[in-house]
Amino acid sequence: MKTTPQGCQSRLPDNTALKQQQLPAYRLQLSATGVLSGFFATGVFCLGVGIILILSAKSIKEIEINYTKICANCAKLRENAVNFDKECTCSIPFHIPETMQGNVYMYYKLYGFYQNLYGYILSRSNSQLLGTDVKDVGSCAPFRESHNGTPIAPCGAIANSIFNDTIILSYNLNSSIHIKVPMLRSGITWWTDKYVKFRNPSSNNLSSAFAGTTKPPYWPKPVYELDEEDPGNNGFINDDFIVWMRTAAFPTFKKLYRRLSRTQCFIEGLPAVTRFRGEKSVVLSTLTWSGGRSLFLGLAYTVTGAVTWLATFSMMAAHLMLKERKMFFSQQ
Amino acid sequence: MTAVKDATDDYFRHKSDDQVNNRQSEVLIDGKETNLKVRHALSVTSELGADISRLAKFDGIVVCEAPNNKLDKFTGVLSWKDSKHSLNNEKIILRGCVLRNTGWCFGMVVFAGPDTKLMQNSGKTKFKRTSIDRLMNTLVLWIFGFLVCLGIILAIGNSIWENQVGDKFRAFIFWKEGEKNSVFSGFLTFWSYIIILNTVVPISLYVSVEVIRLGHSYFINWDRKMYYSLKATPAEARTTTLNEELGQINYVFSDKTGTLTQNIMTFKRCSINGRIYGEVHDDLGQKTDITKKKEPVDFSVNPQADRTLEFFDQRLMESIKLGDPKVHEFLRLLALCHTVMSEENSAGQLVYQVQSPDEGALVTAARNFGFIFKSRTPETITIEELGTLVTYQLLAFLDFNNIRKRMSVIVRNPEGQIKLYCKGADTILFEKLHPSNENLLTLTSDHLSEFAGEGLRTLAIAYRDLDDKYFKEWHKMLEDANATTDERDERVAGLYEEIERDLMLLGATAVEDKLQEGVIETVTNLSLANIKIWVLTGDKQETAINIGYACNMLTDDMSDVFIIAGNTVAEVREEVRKAKENLFGQNRTFSNGHVVFEKKEQLEMNSVVQETVTGDYALVINGHSLAHALESDIKNDLLELACMCKTVVCCRVTPLQKAQVVELVKNHRNAVTLAIGDGANDVSMIKSAHIGVGISGQEGLQAVLASDYSFAQFRYLQRLLLVHGRWSYFRMCKFLCYFFYKNFAFTLVHFWFGFFCGFSAQTVYDQWFITLFNIVYTSLPVLAMGIFDQDVNDQNSMDYPQLYEPGQLNLLFNKRRFLICMAHGIYTSLALFFIPFGTFYNMAGEDGQHIADYQSFAVIIATSLVIVVSVQIALDTSYWTVINHVFIWGSIATYFSILFTMHSNGIFGIFPNQFPFVGNARHSLTQKCIWLVILLTTVASAMPVVAFRFLRVALFPTLSDQIRQWQKAQKKARPLRRRRPQTRRSSSRRSGYAFAHQEGYGELITSGKNMRAKNPPPTSGLEKTLYNSTSWIENLCKKTTDTVSSFSQDKTVKL
Repeated sequence: MKTTPQGCQSRLPDNTALKQQQLPAYRLQLSATGVLSGFFATGVFCLGVGIILILSAKSIKEIEINYTKICANCAKLRENAVNFDKECTCSIPFHIPETMQGNVYMYYKLYGFYQNLYGYILSRSNSQLLGTDVKDVGSCAPFRESHNGTPIAPCGAIANSIFNDTIILSYNLNSSIHIKVPMLRSGITWWTDKYVKFRNPSSNNLSSAFAGTTKPPYWPKPVYELDEEDPGNNGFINDDFIVWMRTAAFPTFKKLYRRLSRTQCFIEGLPAVTRFRGEKSVVLSTLTWSGGRSLFLGLAYTVTGAVTWLATFSMMAAHLMLKERKMFFSQQ
Repeated sequence: MTAVKDATDDYFRHKSDDQVNNRQSEVLIDGKETNLKVRHALSVTSELGADISRLAKFDGIVVCEAPNNKLDKFTGVLSWKDSKHSLNNEKIILRGCVLRNTGWCFGMVVFAGPDTKLMQNSGKTKFKRTSIDRLMNTLVLWIFGFLVCLGIILAIGNSIWENQVGDKFRAFIFWKEGEKNSVFSGFLTFWSYIIILNTVVPISLYVSVEVIRLGHSYFINWDRKMYYSLKATPAEARTTTLNEELGQINYVFSDKTGTLTQNIMTFKRCSINGRIYGEVHDDLGQKTDITKKKEPVDFSVNPQADRTLEFFDQRLMESIKLGDPKVHEFLRLLALCHTVMSEENSAGQLVYQVQSPDEGALVTAARNFGFIFKSRTPETITIEELGTLVTYQLLAFLDFNNIRKRMSVIVRNPEGQIKLYCKGADTILFEKLHPSNENLLTLTSDHLSEFAGEGLRTLAIAYRDLDDKYFKEWHKMLEDANATTDERDERVAGLYEEIERDLMLLGATAVEDKLQEGVIETVTNLSLANIKIWVLTGDKQETAINIGYACNMLTDDMSDVFIIAGNTVAEVREEVRKAKENLFGQNRTFSNGHVVFEKKEQLEMNSVVQETVTGDYALVINGHSLAHALESDIKNDLLELACMCKTVVCCRVTPLQKAQVVELVKNHRNAVTLAIGDGANDVSMIKSAHIGVGISGQEGLQAVLASDYSFAQFRYLQRLLLVHGRWSYFRMCKFLCYFFYKNFAFTLVHFWFGFFCGFSAQTVYDQWFITLFNIVYTSLPVLAMGIFDQDVNDQNSMDYPQLYEPGQLNLLFNKRRFLICMAHGIYTSLALFFIPFGTFYNMAGEDGQHIADYQSFAVIIATSLVIVVSVQIALDTSYWTVINHVFIWGSIATYFSILFTMHSNGIFGIFPNQFPFVGNARHSLTQKCIWLVILLTTVASAMPVVAFRFLRVALFPTLSDQIRQWQKAQKKARPLRRRRPQTRRSSSRRSGYAFAHQEGYGELITSGKNMRAKNPPPTSGLEKTLYNSTSWIENLCKKTTDTVSSFSQDKTVKL
């Protein structure tokens, strides 16, 4: 078979760096100085961050008041669903040992409440909460419709199980004078939740907008009566509702309830804690630059830093040993 | 996708098949390796002639053997006109033959299609898969088992949880209490988790592996260093599924002719009357590299010269011109004493029909130096001596056979002198010389040693002047001997001995069986890479051994060369036993009698034995013994013996035996085999080896079509294995390690989360992330690594063949490695889950809000995961090209842009139910503590890896590590190329009469049977021509048939 010169040319592979696997490249090589200095620097960094985090976490003042047992009779009352609209109040006196400077945040904390169950998380309707179609209850099983077939608004297990204890903080000047501490409701939700994700159906009258729907079975009042005084906090855009709807990742969680300027008293509502065998508390806490109080991150950083340093030293030892060995070989 | 790729492969194969079918005629003529075979028609049928009407009436019945693969045997009976005629191998033409010396022939098809001997020999096409493929399948099964275990654990957890906790919690999820029982819930959970955790079973792995292999195949196709410009043939990866196995080869089975050698014999040197011709000294006195510097002898004065021959010594031409009688006699002998037949082609040029290329080389050499063999008849030989036509009378033809190892002609020249011209193996011929030759003999003997040292095939040349009367007496005795029936052969042999004595030595010739370029270097390098090379050839034992020495596979340094050439099972068994004893005896000087049992145990554990054997051994076995060995219980013994030898040469083997040998090693040694060959007789071997390589461009395309890889020169095998194969294996292993790691790190987070979400089959990541993670966020960097990564560059891969060993030992990816990757993945998943978990368990965000909501947690872990696996691939990538940069940085950028897009207000407004994570990225990724968590996770995942790698390189550096360091140091200093190892062969071994000669041609010539009648008498017509001219060139079965047909005559002799 004779091939023409042109044929030869065309069969010769191109001489490009890609095709000849000669692309210019940086060859990654773990050099001793690079690795050791990198490790050392990482160790310094981790230790530094760890110590700073621990110190800042220590500076946070936090008080937790567990009211599960104290308000047990209220919970018992609520266990029976018939009594859902009966009021029950219990008050817990407590003392703040130190001054809490700066902003103080009030949380409610639930122990062992699984907001992260598969069926639970799914059981909501974003399009309903967006206000476009209040009767869209498609994904809300098993709380889609009431027994008579009326769609529930807001539908779903998350909404149904809302935390609706009302917590009032009063300052006891003396045994007879209680001064209600002013609490800010604003700023406890994400901006996007409040203004994008949750919208009320557009209508002049909120109750007419929710016509044809019914309240969730565990709720004492319909959604459009959550805060009749403030239309910006009523219906789906109620702050407490929004906070609850942002489900927690772990079975123990604390959600921001109020921001306040300074002391005591509770009115008991839902949920019936004994049902899930969990506990409830109120947490008062200040903040620091990195957020709330948690020693874990600081400790983890410190430990990582320490381990990195340890590794640095052992690697250095190995490296020096090797150097001797190398010299030994070269002498041979 | 794999199916699509395979289909494309098949399509291209089909296309090249078509190509062949369309140019078959060209290909057959192209065949270089040819042997003339004589075939006769039955006399009863040849009488039919070319008369179509008579032929049409032919109504014979052939009863013959069933289709089989024996090329040398055929038995059958033709019944026609109430008489029976036996049919044998001489009467049939096999598929693939080409007619020569006859214009036409009529035949009857006995077997067609798959029943033909060619097809019976071709072996089955098997679907080839690599060992990594098989390992991968096992591992996927393991992973599946692991998945089921995880599912069961979580299901049990769910049952317990439902029983203990969930019971109390049901009111928040279900209308009615007690709707489900906990066991049923666990059962459902099991299936849910199987679905969620299925990402641990790497489905996309198969696709990615195919893509990487495709890339590697293209690199092979594109490699300019494997492009043969003379034939314009690039290397070609014909399958795209076997690349990484090229990095794991233990055994290479190589054909000889056309693969190791070019099957071109060239007249290189000669020693005439004690003087060496053809030796060229350059200024430094070195004999090598003469081709470039010196002008070859100019043959243009001789119009009949063959232009392809190059001879570099002007002195021979000068001697001829000066009329040195010895030189003339020498060349005259070369022109007279042979079995070549001449033909004139259409252009009027002489064309020689040779049955052995060595003879062709000698006759062509004589022709170029002015002693041109023109034509022969049964009684005469006509040559042109320096321009004058001289006709010699051929008085006797003393044919070659394996015992005599020489051939002679007795001629009468026009002056009436009778001369005997003899050429043959030096060892034999030197015994026949006249005592007066003693001085010349010593000199010539030295020259012969020198020739042999250069790997040339040598022949001694001698003549004898015969007395008229003496010859007549002798001739009469010969005629008498021929006439007798009993002990005829012995008597004839005795008479030959009688006349072939008192010879006068003329000199010696040295013919080079041209090795392909770079064969010695390639063989040396491959052996250094611990690849065992077995030569499987249809050639004679001597030729095979000669080539073994020529390409450095056999050396004088070897402790022993075992030759197995028994004719019966018992003989073979005895020879194998002796060889083994020899092998172990020398290495077991320390052992006494009591270790016999141990010995036996050790024999079974081959690896142990291999270590105990010191020194290099070689094994030479011929096809006949091999047939016995393969069919009996000696098989395993033979295999053990062979595997301990450095070199194994199997000669005179049939195509099917080649395949059987390959199968034997493949099945019993758990080793990866590669077969390389160029001809149709290598097809079955190529098909049965793990990897088949075809040499393209030499003869036909059958081997190439059956092969997995093809290229034009044997030397490219080195680059294919040491560079492409090694890289492929290296890359594939790295890729697999990373891929498994990534999937475990990614998936097991769900498992840990299961313990905190009531085992409710809640995923950690959102659905979009799960969908996109493997395909979009992490696929390209690892593909880029799998395609482009290099640990050491190609030059160093070639310079340090030892780098190849990890592949053979399967070190870079095996079950242990897999478990390490798995552990690494599990560790990473722990870090990924528990660091954010610990941090956010009881923490509020910067704005005081709840930070550990499910959606934020999902985003944090997903982001950490993408960053951690990107850092890991960055650490794994040792060769950062632009593409790697683009892919790694691009993947991270893509992740963030997709994340922000999916969490944007706009897309939520359109699909509120599909993208419920609105605002999440913005809210989470602006918090300091979240970044601190991501950073800590990354550090915690990457640091141990870096530390372990550093310590491994520091404490247990592999060769690759050392070379990489060295490479880096080199780069900093000045680029210095290491001197390639010198591969001059050194052998003092004298070659015997190693011609591919066959007995019987002398008889053929003197009988005149296959001489084409130049001017056929008008009366004889077609019939006579048909009867006389039935000689064939058998293109296909050349060496093999040659081999087999002369089994019986060939008593292989230990040299």
